[in-house]
Formats: sequence, structure tokens, C-alpha cells
Amino acid sequence: MTGAARYTGDALKPGLLHASLAVSPHAHARILSIDTSAARSIPGVRAVVTGEDFPVLTGSPLEDRPPLAIDKVRYFGEPVAVVVADAEYIAEMAALQVRVEYEMLPLVQSPLEAYKPGAPLIHERLAEYRRYEEVYPEPGTNVASRNRIRKGNMEEGWCRSIHTIEVRVSLPQSDHAAMEPRCSTAELLPDGKAVIHSASQSPYIIRSQINRYFHIPLQQIIVHTPLVGGGFGGKAAVQLEFLAFLASRAVGGKAVKLVNSRERDMVSSPVHIGLESRVKLGCTADGKIAAAEITHWYDGGAYSDRGPIMSKAGASDCSGPYRIDNLQCDSLCMYTNHPYSTSFRGFGHPELTFAIERAMDVMAARLNMDPLEFRFLNAIGPGDTTPTQTLLDRSTVGNLPMCIAKLKDMIRWDERPLMEAKGRFVKARGVCCLWKNSNTPADAGAGAVIIFNADGSVNLLCGAVEIGQGTRTSLTQMAAERLRMDVHNVSISTDVNTETEPQLWKTVASRSTFLVGNAILAAADDAIVQLKNTAARVLRLPPAELEVGGGRVYSKRDPGTGIEIAKIALGYKLPGGGTIGSQIIGRGSYAMRDIKELDPMTGKGKPGPEWTVGAQMVEVELDTRDFSYRILQAATVIDAGKVINPVFARGQITGGMSMGLGLASREAFAFNEEAKVLNPQFRTYHMLRYGEQPTYFVDFVETPNAEAPFGLRGIGEHGVIGMPAALANALSTATGIPLNRLPLTPERIWRTVHDTI
Amino acid sequence: MIPFDFEYYRPSSVKEAVDTFQALQAQGKHPMYWSGGTEIITMARLNHIRPGAVVDLKAIPECSVMEFRGHELIIGGCVTLSAVTGANLFPLLGRAAQGVADQTSRNKITLGGNVCGRIHYREAVLPLLVANSRLVIAGKGGVREAAIHEVFRGQIRLEPGEFLLQTMTDREYVSLPSVHVKKRQIGHVGYPLVTMVALKKGNRIRAAFSGVCGFPFRSAAIEQVLNTAGLSAEERARQAAGQLPAPPLTNAEGMADYRLFLFKQTVKDAITALEGR
Repeated sequence: MTGAARYTGDALKPGLLHASLAVSPHAHARILSIDTSAARSIPGVRAVVTGEDFPVLTGSPLEDRPPLAIDKVRYFGEPVAVVVADAEYIAEMAALQVRVEYEMLPLVQSPLEAYKPGAPLIHERLAEYRRYEEVYPEPGTNVASRNRIRKGNMEEGWCRSIHTIEVRVSLPQSDHAAMEPRCSTAELLPDGKAVIHSASQSPYIIRSQINRYFHIPLQQIIVHTPLVGGGFGGKAAVQLEFLAFLASRAVGGKAVKLVNSRERDMVSSPVHIGLESRVKLGCTADGKIAAAEITHWYDGGAYSDRGPIMSKAGASDCSGPYRIDNLQCDSLCMYTNHPYSTSFRGFGHPELTFAIERAMDVMAARLNMDPLEFRFLNAIGPGDTTPTQTLLDRSTVGNLPMCIAKLKDMIRWDERPLMEAKGRFVKARGVCCLWKNSNTPADAGAGAVIIFNADGSVNLLCGAVEIGQGTRTSLTQMAAERLRMDVHNVSISTDVNTETEPQLWKTVASRSTFLVGNAILAAADDAIVQLKNTAARVLRLPPAELEVGGGRVYSKRDPGTGIEIAKIALGYKLPGGGTIGSQIIGRGSYAMRDIKELDPMTGKGKPGPEWTVGAQMVEVELDTRDFSYRILQAATVIDAGKVINPVFARGQITGGMSMGLGLASREAFAFNEEAKVLNPQFRTYHMLRYGEQPTYFVDFVETPNAEAPFGLRGIGEHGVIGMPAALANALSTATGIPLNRLPLTPERIWRTVHDTI
Repeated sequence: MIPFDFEYYRPSSVKEAVDTFQALQAQGKHPMYWSGGTEIITMARLNHIRPGAVVDLKAIPECSVMEFRGHELIIGGCVTLSAVTGANLFPLLGRAAQGVADQTSRNKITLGGNVCGRIHYREAVLPLLVANSRLVIAGKGGVREAAIHEVFRGQIRLEPGEFLLQTMTDREYVSLPSVHVKKRQIGHVGYPLVTMVALKKGNRIRAAFSGVCGFPFRSAAIEQVLNTAGLSAEERARQAAGQLPAPPLTNAEGMADYRLFLFKQTVKDAITALEGR
């Protein structure tokens, strides 16, 4: 800890102007008029921009969102105007003076309410919205997208089912709660360039979106992303960047900064998606799952953003990591009058896993079977097919049975009962398995450049954003490993600049080490070829007989014969003048292969290159008098393919578990009957704090993924995924009552126990 | 960010503070007294209050006192909650203070600010209520003393321009058997669903509550129930719930029926704990 890190909002610049948002106090209302005259009359105010100034819809995959509301507002906190002023407090003061007249519209408060026939329509012109990627809206309803899975023969599946159970679950929308609130600055230079600084996980998407909506050529848009103070998916969306751009444009291109207050960051900017779900499971007498029918209604909020891709993930991985041959799923992204949602760590999986894993526990109890044993018996593996009918092999699916076995050992599962009561306290354990595919676009890719310096050291250029996950460090390790050089001789900056670093699709989906890692290996190989070519001419040996390592290029047969890289990195100077070769610059790139879009009617396709599988456990101690509880232990065993940096890997899994336990136990937006968020502050929005953390256990299985650098699998999100289900399973065991709604506050448990009685 | 300009004054004597406040009042600046400042910042950020001026009391020597003088424990209004807990001169007050907010905030929040605050809970007042503390109040007429029950009824009721200078607590109360319980929605930081502070003087239990209703209170009716001989602790808790001075609170932290459930449990436990001592 040095305090040396600088976030986007920390940068000072002479003449910088400040923007502030006027936001809607209503969740669904027609805008009758907007009066900006009082705001404009405040000294120091430079401009006020409203939706009329930029009547364009944005969004990906579905263009449904005006950056500033037009005609109506659809959620509490929706931006309706942006004020630009000389100082931040003036901008804020003026934003409060933007007078908007509203006419209330009927509200839609939950995804199931949104799905009811005759529900108020949130987007009347859904049919007209432009679409990119895979998105299947149903105009005339509140369905922003629907994906279907139709696999096997349901009738046969139900016929073979001796036991059937049904579970309904719900989890609420919540916040990403990154330490650094979102912040963007924009400046439009006289030469036509647009310069954006943003706390973002997708600098290259900002560039393409600014290009799409403001028609500035790509090469003229420069996006800088310094170290980002946590993202968790929330900073993958493009929102403030449009507003900062509009603000700058309104003041002749001067640099304008827009930074979210915590309240705005929690509600006006996109949030973590919610879910209501119904799972029916059928099982044979010997405990094999024979059929499953699943419906997910994701609470996408007022605009869809990445919601349709998350609901697609909700379909493609709906079964959890289990072999289910007869499977039907409808996964819907619903519009509601809640804040709009975007990607959140786990991307639809913590939600779908909560649904399927609660059902798994209920079924295990019905069968009177050990819940881990039941999961082991049904674990998916090579030769099985996924809900999208992808045939799996060892490389694509890894080894879930091994994860379960290792988890069992690690937590001494067999040595203690599921539940132990001691006076008023009950200790109980809950388990869960997980899997995740990345649901990236078919053309997601990355590039990398390795530049050699005169002393043989290298600088690594790539587009992966450092958001605290340590990716950029892991990437230097990969480069050093391939070049067989000391990692201290590989340097990488913490900033990403789209003008100098080759593109990476986005820093999301646990994909950076995969995409950029592959690009780096290609760049390193390219550099090795160049090094060998130069050295071959100097040493008068064929390149094929040379090896690179330890800062030298040397003969394979006679390692004593060779030359230091420092002598050839910029070309080898001959003693009598003249040069052999020139600067070594390795370049490499990689794009996803073999991803197939899902058929909208059957779900057939391939959502990504590989699955990461894992098994998790949570142990709680419940006080049966007031239903408060302590989380004693949380454990994860994950098939990481290959662990690149053990410390970071453990950090990612542990941080994920902590976040997942927060979601499971307390994180939730509280809405009143007007769909206003009552707790957009940390004083009332509760998170897991220091002193409340359980003991964490992490271990890995390593089943290589043939497509990935060093065989690795994504692990950045996976610690989160099973925690809600594992906690709910533990508490359901402790209370003897099914707990299917998050968050699991003591009051929620008390209420469920009392309602049941 | 606070979206408006305001003036800031930092007087160094009681008289200067009162005079400054009065002058600002006369100028129509709607001044507020400032101690730790956390609530003013919180509400000003959200534009819920717009004082044109603030008068910071922290430079007034009397406001920072924390010591025994003869039979009285004197604590200045500007002593922070962390300092109250750290000094531990009145352990029950220290525990109640430690239950408020988080450590970083308690380094700013003051005893006077918490007692006089607008946010419902004001938990630091509870030990003062059960200890029959006296409040030293400064105003344009000079400094006066009053029993806490005359001035604090649900919330502080001061005359315009007055501020809480000090609290005075009889030494005999600081070491009486006592109970402090705080139940939150979840976790170790947050507003109370129920906070109960109780002490036993002679054979009588005195109790004060926060979180249950929309204001902190000590109730004669409830204390009468708590001290009814011959009734089980459970029955007394049940009857106490029938004597609440207002309907239980419902908000984002918790609903009324759950608060009531916790109230009864907490009262029952407190009776059991205190009667054994």
C-alpha cells in the first residue's frame, strides 16, 4: 500500500469544467416539460444538455436507451439533464434547479409482474429498436429478450422421473459497490480528436460506441483508462462517457469531468441484475436427474444493456454442471421500472446457480441422499452434452468429480453431520457446484506487442484493464515464461491507451488471461523468430539450431555458444560498421474460434470455448432464537486448468466468495411502493465488513484447456457463483425450512419460518 | 459535494458562539451549530438542509471537557464518541457510543451531535436517560442546567439559539449493573432494529430504547411493567411491548413486527441478566 495509485477522477487539469446530472425522482413518468432557465441563470453555469439535444438511442445488444431521458423516465434516478459549470458544486447546485414536470405512469415492480398479460408497457416502441448480437425482444410485451433451450424428450424424461420437485427462487437487484465510483472526462480537440478518460472495463467499446453515435473516426478517438478501483462488471457499460461527451460538445469541446456521487453510482448507473425463477426437477429412483424444466425471469430493469446476454447465459448454463438429457428452459430478460442492469461478476451465473442448486438440495433431501454424493452422481463430464447440445471433452469441461472429491477432503465432509445442534445454536453446512462459460461474442479478441529495449528488457503493450485483479502482472509472467526471461525484465504500465495498446474486446468474463494471454504467446513467438534470425546471422548457425532463454540466444547443441539479447535487441552492430537485423518487436493477436450463436428456438450452439467447473461449501452457525447467524467457513475447489499466479488466483477466489456471501446475506436494493430505492448509501446498503469474514479455504484442480495459454481456465468471477446457493442450502438445513429468497437477513429467515407455521 | 455556499465560524467562547449565532440568525442566514459535522454534511450533500452559516463549537474549551468534578461526571458536547468509549469513565455510555456508526465516523461524531441529531436513533442519549443526567445548555441568557427529561423528549427540545454544552451524570450511576444490547438488520455496523440500555438501581430496573419507535425513549409505563414482581420475564416483556409510546418503526432496516419480536426478546434477556445481579 503506497497510496500512489491515481484514479480517473484524481487527475487535475487547468480549465477543467465539471458536469452534474439532474435525475428523475420518479420510476415511471411522462416528461411534460423541462425548464432549464433557472439552472442556466446561475453564475458559473456554461451549459445544460437535455434529451432533446441528443435524441439517439444507445445500447448493446439492443438500442433502447437514450443517454438522457426523452419523453419519459423509466427508473428512479434516471438522468434527465446534464449541467456543465466552472466548479463541481455549481454544477450540482444548478442540476437541482432543473425543473421537470412529470405525469405519473403505472409501475412495473418485478419481472414476474412485467410478464403478466396486460402489464404496463415500459417500451412501447420495442419493435423499432435496432439490434446487434443475439437478442430476441417480444414487441407488445416487457420481454427484452428470450432464449430457449429444447433438448431431449421431455415426455420421456418425466416418465422416467420417480421423484419430482419444484422450487421458486428470487434474488433482488443490488449494487456492484466498487470502491471507486464511475468517472469520465471528455475533451474534443480542434483537430477533430475526441479524448476520453474513463474508469472503465471497456475502453475499446467506448471508442466504438463514440464512433457509432457521434461519427468520429475510430483513429481520432483516444480513450485512456488508468488503474480502475474495482469494476465487477459494472464498469463494462458505456454510460457516463456519452454524457461527458455531450457535456464537452455543449461547451465547445472543453474538457469536462463527470464523476458519480456514491448515490448516483448505486442507482443512476447500471446495477446488478435480479432474478425470479422456477425450476422443476425430475429424478429416477437411483438418483439420476431425468428431466428439468426451468424458467428464468431476469430483472433487467428499465433498459436492457447486457441483460439479454446474461439471460442468454441463464439459458445456456441453466442445468448447472450436471448431465441432464431432457431439458427445457426459457430464459427471459424482463423490463421493469427498476434501475437498469449490466454485467456483474459471474454474468448471470450466480443467479441461475442459486435456482438450480436450491433445486438440487431439495431433490437430494427428497431422495434422502448426501447432497455432495447426489451432485457427484450427476456431475457432467466428457462425452456428455450441455444444454446447448455441445459435446464435451476433458479440455472443454475439466474435472468436476475431482473438484467435489477434493472439496470433501478439504472440509472433512464425511467426518461431521450436515447439522449439529448445541443449545440454541445450530451449525450447518451447505454445498453447491458451479460452472460457467463466458458467453463472449463470436469475434472477441485481443492483440499484444512486445517491444525489446537496448538492454534486452521488454515492454509489454496490451489492452487489459487493471481493475485490481492483477491481470497485467499475470500477463507479464506469461510473456516472461514464454521468452524464458526474468519477469523483472518485463514491464507493463497500469494505464491503457487505445492509441498505443492493441485492442482487447473488454476486460470482462474472466477472459483477459485467455484472450490477451494467447496474443502474448503469439507475440513472444514472433519475437523469438526475430531473435533467432538475427542471432543466426551473427553466430552463423541455422535459426532452427538456436534457443532463446536466460537473456541469450544460444546453440541447442552447445549452449556455451551464443549471444546476449542485449547485443541484438536493436540490431547487432558489426565491429567494422554495419548492422545485422533491427529492433525486435513481437506482435501477436488472437480471436475466439468456434463460438456458435445459439438457435433462438432450441438453444443449439456453442456459447464459448470452455467451461470452468468448481465445488463450494459454506458453514454457518445459526442462533435459533433471533435467526442471526455467523458464517464460519467458506470453501472453494475450482478447476483452474493451470494456476498462473497462485497468490492472485487465491485472491480472486477468496474475494469472489466474500462478494457472493455479501449478495447472499445482505446486499439488496430496497424499493418502496413507488419503486424508489430507499438505500442508495453504504449507511443503509449493507455489505460484508471486516470482522465478519469467515475462514476461507481455496484449492485447485488443474485440467488443461487445450485452447488456452498454458491450459488455463477463467477464474476471475467463479468464487462468487455458488455462494448464494451454498449459504441458502446451509441455512435451509439449519432451519429445516426452504429459504429461496435473497438476501438471507435474519428478518427474512424469521419471516419465512413464521409464515410456514 | 455540498451544492451550496455557507459561512463558517469557529468561536472560542460560549458567549461568542451564542452572539455569533444570534447575529447570523438576525441576518436571515439560518445558521446551525456544528460539532462533529457528520449529519450536517450528510444532509447538506443531499440538499435536505441548507444552512447559510455554521457555528463550530469545537474551539470552546467547555465543550471538550471529560472528567469527574466532585460527584459529577462532566462530558462536553464536542467530545467524540470514540473518546467517550476510549476513556471509559461511564462504561454503559461507552458501549452505547461504540454501537453507533463505524469507527471512522465515531472519530468525528460527538456526544452532543448524536444527542441533538435529526437521524432517528441518537443512541448515545440512552445511558443519559437511565442515569437521570443533567444537561448544561448555553443560550443567549447564559448557561443553564436542566434535567435531561425536561429537555429531551423523543428529541432534544432547545430554545432557538441554544446548544448543548455539557452533560452531567451523578458518579453513583456509572458503576451500576447495566445492560446494552443492539440488534441490527445484519452485521456489526448499522442502525438499530432495537437498542436497549438498562441499569439496576437498588432493586429497580431502568430502561431506555432506540430503534423500536421513530425516536429514543425511556418510559415510566414500561419500567413499571419491568419491575412488576411475580410476573415472568417473558410476560413482562410481552406487557412492555403493549406500552410502547408509538407504533414500531418500519423502514429499509426492518419491519415493525420483526422489531417487536426482537424488542420482546431483548427485554426478556435484559430482565433475566439484571435480576441475577
